[in-house]
This record gives sequence, structure tokens and C-alpha cells, in this order.
Amino acid sequence: MSFAWKAAGISYLKYTQICARAVRNALKEEQRLIAQRRDEQGLKFAKWESGKQGELKPIDSAMGNVSV
Amino acid sequence: MFAIRPVVANATTRSVGCQHRNYATLKEIQLRLKSVRSIAKITKSMKMIASTKMTRAQKTMEIARTFGSTQTALFTNADTKPTEEGTTLIITVSSDRGLCGGIHSSVSKASRKHVQEKPNSQVVVLGDKAKAQLSRTIRNNIRLSFNQIGKATPTYTEACAIADTILNEKIEFDQAIIVYNYFKSVISYEADTIPVFSESTFSKSGNFDAYEVEDDVLENLHEFALANSIYWGLAEGHASEMASKRSAMENATKNAGEMIDKLTLTYNRGRQAVITSELIDIITGASAI
Repeated sequence: MSFAWKAAGISYLKYTQICARAVRNALKEEQRLIAQRRDEQGLKFAKWESGKQGELKPIDSAMGNVSV
Repeated sequence: MFAIRPVVANATTRSVGCQHRNYATLKEIQLRLKSVRSIAKITKSMKMIASTKMTRAQKTMEIARTFGSTQTALFTNADTKPTEEGTTLIITVSSDRGLCGGIHSSVSKASRKHVQEKPNSQVVVLGDKAKAQLSRTIRNNIRLSFNQIGKATPTYTEACAIADTILNEKIEFDQAIIVYNYFKSVISYEADTIPVFSESTFSKSGNFDAYEVEDDVLENLHEFALANSIYWGLAEGHASEMASKRSAMENATKNAGEMIDKLTLTYNRGRQAVITSELIDIITGASAI
């Protein structure tokens, strides 16, 4: 059983987040505004190499973080 | 007359000296009183804000607990055990904000203890305060750090973003331990851990045959287990932090109140001493005429 989103390179978490966003956008005006607040995240992360912190980058919630 | 004047002169110089000292002290005390009063106002309002945030955080925490405990129930029922030689990933849940008591130290101490037991564990830090503490002792174990955490009640979206970033970094681990502050009550919290096992460790569980699992699903379960457990850790950590901040600010306000009382007494005593010495001057001056 292979998953279409797996073949497209999206993780399960990313897939569920995209589906949830679609459901939130489909709600009626009032409920949608409340639900969309749950979709926001402004986290930043930094990679560490041998005790040194790298650059702070925001997490891109649209397509996820592709490790460079 | 000659006998009296030197006494008057001495008394005057002494009281003039005392007057100067008292006035300077009085002004200092007044300044101090003003600043302590404004600090007391600030800590009182911080306590109010923290207690409203705490009630909101507690509601989220109750929900997160039901989700998270079903996750750990799966691992308990499947009798999953970590292997001795397995690699560990430690996820330390903290926040960016200070003035909240011993929250960050508690979680950093627990993480350091885990690293001492398994020196080649990798660490992911959530929150700048814990990052500062951990980078003093175990900086070589840190792989990722996150910030902008703790500003609002945590959402599952945040937990997913964190889990996704960790998985994208291709950090290999047999077991992940989420170190967070368990909310025991409004006045107490305790550092605790949530285990998350990898697919290979889970498939070697004692009771694995009780479940009908297709292999492809195990990876999804692993991702979901990580996000779910991180969400639980974030929610509990946030609730503990707000509770601790509330009690820290309450103590600060109480201490400021005590300082204000003591300073007011000293100020009044000083003021009365100045008035008394002025009266003495006037009386002795009048009697010399």
C-alpha cells in the first residue's frame, strides 16, 4: 500500500496539515476566522554543528523544510 | 553668655550636620519608595496576566493529555522497550520567557542527567532559556534549537512543524525522550519524560503481534507519535510555566509590599527626627535671644 503523498515527497505530517488547512478554509466565515488562528505558527529554528549555532530560519509551513 | 554661645554653636553645627544627612536620606528613601511602588504595580499586573493565561493553558493541557496518553498507552500495551545500545534523541521543552521561577532550570537539569547516562545522545532544544542553560554544559550534543516558543498557548500546528523539521533533518534515533514540566498543581510542577519509539524499535515490541499492521503505516505512526507527544509536552510545559510565573510574581508583589512598609516606617521616623531637630534649633535659638 503506497501512499500518493509519500510518492510525491510529502511527509505524513505535512499531508495532514495540508488537509486540515483545506478543511479550515472550507468553513463558514465566523468559524473559519477562529479556526485559521490555529493554523498560524511563527517558529524559528537553527541547526547546530559541533557546539556552534547556525543561522536562525523561519519554518516554512507551506512546503515544509527541505534539508539543504 | 560666653558659656552659652559655644553650646548653642555646637548644637547648631551638630543639628545642621544631622539635618543635611537626614534630608539627603529622606530624599533617597522617597526615591526608593517610588520605585518599589511602581515595581509592585508591575508584578501585580504580571501576576493577573499569568493567572488568566494559566486557566487557558490548563484547558489546552487537559485535551493534550487525553491525546498524548493514548499515544503512550499504545507503546505500553505493545510492551515496547528501548534497546540498551539504541541511540536517543532528547527533546527539551522550555520557552523564551523569563521571570517564571525554576521552570527552565528544572527541565535543563533533567536533560543534563539523561545526557550523563547516555553521553552520545542528541539534543533538540525548544526555547531560548533552556538553550542558554544547556549550551553551557552540553553544547556539543545539541543538533537543533527552536525559538518563538511560549508566546501563546501551543497549537498542534506548532508541534507538527517542530516534528516535521526534526524528521527532515534526518536525525536517527531509536528512542526519543521529550523532557517537559509535568503540571502537578497550580503551585507545583515536576520534570517528566514522554518516550517516542522509532519504527524498528516499535516493530520489535513484545506484544507487536496483537496488532494488525501493514508495514507502510508504521512510518506514519512514528511521525504522528512524535508530533502528538511534542504537543503534549508543549501544552503541559506552557501550563506549568504560567502557574510558576503566577506564583513567582505573587511572591515578588508580597516582598515589594513588605519593603514598602519598612521603607515607609523609616521615612516617617526620619521625617519626625528632622522636625524634632528643627524644633530644638528653634527653641534653643529662641532661648539664646
